[in-house]
Amino acid sequence: MEEYVGELWDRLITGAAERRHAAATVKLDDIAKSAAIFFRALGGDPGLGISAAPAVRHGARRRLLQRMAGSGEKVELSWRDGEVLRLPSQIDLFAEYALNRDLYFWLVALAAVETNNHRSWIVRNQQATLATLQRFPGLQSRYTRLVDALLAMRIAPHKLPADEAAQEHTICQALQRPGSVDEIMLAKRPFQPVPLWPHPNPPVNGESVTAGAGSPEQAGNAAQKKSRRKHLAQRTDVKEDKNGFLMMFRAESLFSWSEFVKVNRPQDEEDDTETAQLAAEDMDHLTIARDGKASAANVRFDLDLPAGAADDTPLGEGVLLPEWNWKKQVLQPDYCSLQQLIATDAKPCELPHALKNTANHLRRQFQALTPTRHWLKGQQDGEELDMDAWVQLVSEKNSIMPTSEHGLYRAQVNQERDLACLLLADLSLSTDAYVSNHSRVIDVIRDSLLLFSEALTATGDSFALYGFSSLKRSHVRFHYIKGFDEKYSGQVRGRITAIKPGYYTRMGAAIRQASSLLVQQKKRQRLLLILTDGKPNDLDQYEGRYGIEDTRVALIEARKLGLRPFCVTIDTEASDYLPHLFGAGGYVVIRNPEDLPKELPLLYAQMTR
Amino acid sequence: METQTSNTPFYEPSGDECDLFERAWKNRLPLLIKGPTGCGKTRFVAHMAARLGLPLHTVACHDDLTAADLVGRHLIGDGETIWNDGPLTRAVREGGICYLDEVVEARKDTTVVLHPLADDRRMLPIDRTGELLQAPPAFMLVVSYNPGYQNFLKGMKPSTRQRFVSLTFDFPSAAQEEAILVGETGIDSMTAKRLVSIAGAFRALRDHDLEEVASTRLLVYAATLIKDGYDPVRACQAALVETLTDDAETAVALSEVVSATFGR
Repeated sequence: MEEYVGELWDRLITGAAERRHAAATVKLDDIAKSAAIFFRALGGDPGLGISAAPAVRHGARRRLLQRMAGSGEKVELSWRDGEVLRLPSQIDLFAEYALNRDLYFWLVALAAVETNNHRSWIVRNQQATLATLQRFPGLQSRYTRLVDALLAMRIAPHKLPADEAAQEHTICQALQRPGSVDEIMLAKRPFQPVPLWPHPNPPVNGESVTAGAGSPEQAGNAAQKKSRRKHLAQRTDVKEDKNGFLMMFRAESLFSWSEFVKVNRPQDEEDDTETAQLAAEDMDHLTIARDGKASAANVRFDLDLPAGAADDTPLGEGVLLPEWNWKKQVLQPDYCSLQQLIATDAKPCELPHALKNTANHLRRQFQALTPTRHWLKGQQDGEELDMDAWVQLVSEKNSIMPTSEHGLYRAQVNQERDLACLLLADLSLSTDAYVSNHSRVIDVIRDSLLLFSEALTATGDSFALYGFSSLKRSHVRFHYIKGFDEKYSGQVRGRITAIKPGYYTRMGAAIRQASSLLVQQKKRQRLLLILTDGKPNDLDQYEGRYGIEDTRVALIEARKLGLRPFCVTIDTEASDYLPHLFGAGGYVVIRNPEDLPKELPLLYAQMTR
Repeated sequence: METQTSNTPFYEPSGDECDLFERAWKNRLPLLIKGPTGCGKTRFVAHMAARLGLPLHTVACHDDLTAADLVGRHLIGDGETIWNDGPLTRAVREGGICYLDEVVEARKDTTVVLHPLADDRRMLPIDRTGELLQAPPAFMLVVSYNPGYQNFLKGMKPSTRQRFVSLTFDFPSAAQEEAILVGETGIDSMTAKRLVSIAGAFRALRDHDLEEVASTRLLVYAATLIKDGYDPVRACQAALVETLTDDAETAVALSEVVSATFGR
């Protein structure tokens, strides 16, 4: 009974204190892509991603009901750092949908303005507001509407103690007449959050660690819940020599969960990820150790390389390749070492039975693309006269009236397929994840490679297949599957069948190597097809923006060489970063990974038509 | 130099390109113009042809354009065949400017007929009739193409390229583009400024979210609609947003930029 009444009371008081408008909610996920493009259009840094901001405690005065209900203590504010632009995961501040949506785009517009970081927060915001309104005068009316709606919702100054009232008054003035306030007298108690402005002091700046961003390769965990929310991260050095078996905390309460203790038990949350997720959402800080074994995020293993005898056979000497460091904006020469490998235990084999039908079908379709250059007769227009038609016309004319309009020309149709294609497949450990009940990403990639080869053999186009994975910069593995000068044979099928997932995705180095191979092909069209399931990522600093920028530079180099890079991905979040890498029309996201084997050859046909 | 008359198409120079064009023509050098679509290449050539008082033969190249389309072919008349000059041959015979627009679109073998014409021989051999035409001094060959990276598959052969004096066009500066919009359509300078600001925002999306960015030509379309009394936001949506993208989310973002500029 007691519990029942308590529950009722809780529901009642929370509902009464709730000042949010669920019906008018705008979710970040719904507008993220448009917001990102809007941000770039307004001159924002094109390399920034968009993610949800964590809720932070604001500490400001709340209404009585809110205090009673224990709600409204946290707020999601936007801010920007070197890697991401953080926006609230949803906005339900105003009763009108349009206003909430306007607020999103207003925050994005504000973030696109570069401001002088040495000025105080309040001056910066006013400057950014003025700059935005000056460049985009159409936002003026929208801004006015937002400010009016916001001021109506704030606790009025006359209801506050004197010092807070003065503080609130200054903020209102800055909102209503941007540019008119030079400084703010801070009261003892923090001011009420201003959702129209970015976070006054973003919790983590500079080199941030975020759980979920730069996400470790998710081995075998396809069902992982993707959340845009980032947690405030706090770096903690790992103390060595801790006894992993010493139980030093109990993971029962939120408090102790948030305390960090380094325990060597990578498996301990495996059965309880859902609870952990909930707990993590409620926490202010999520502590992440320097070695990447996060409590709530996925565990990242340092994978051992196989023993020499069990590994694939190296082909020749390693190749030294440069890498782009975007923080320093320099190309570091000879930074990565790439080793070409060939599968040792690959036995020649036939096409798997399950693929035979599809392969036959594709082969027939693709034979239509084989190079031909022939004369068409009886054309209305063409380079040469069609003498037969001409003679016929003349003779018909001499006897009876011409029966029909004949084309009297011959035209040459040129369907020359002067092209070479190099397919580069991502073989990192993440491809070990299951995409359905019976197949993993790697199986999908294997089938795709097989069908792709069947189709291309039918057209006679010159093609090569390579795979890649990496373990830090010293060991980029570049798997030889089929070279340009090799015939597609049982041996090649054997190597395709032998591909296996391993390690990480240092995409830049692999692209550079693939480019250097492809550029030797003297063809008119040279297509670099990249097949992947996620972002560039490796164990060292090669993650997040670093990896993306290096890949981008590698792709720009490839384009300069006259190659055409194209990315086929099954990463559903790829539209966050692929436009930056490949440009519009330079990539395609396959929503259902199981369709990849059939889609890939068709994509190729479209691209090379 | 002749002055701009009412018959001369409007052109707002952005540098010394008029001077270069005139010198190239005087010295019988062929000219290659590169630049994004809709930045004024064709208008520039038309302007210069009118200014120099030369006839202009324009060929819009497409990927089925053959050498015969340029040089000419036999047509069938009443019981006989008649040779019919193509635009290139006509320009060589009459003297004047032969302008091959988007030349890289043409089939590879087509551009080879330009070779003897584009170097110091200035000759056009016509295989089918056995003729060998010598270009008169007033003849000038001008070709153009759009080097956007999406198009690099269709780059020009180096052997063709190396026969031309080259001129690179880009979108005009903001002030010049405003002047163009005002000059071309007669809208007020405030609206022109806002249109140019939208174009600037869209152009920041090149290589990321848009394959081709807003050209001056599209801005002129939008300005024309606005001048005619159409609602600016709708005009920009029709002339710019919907023209540039098919992707719904990109269109939303572009529309936001439009309403951030013209919105209420």
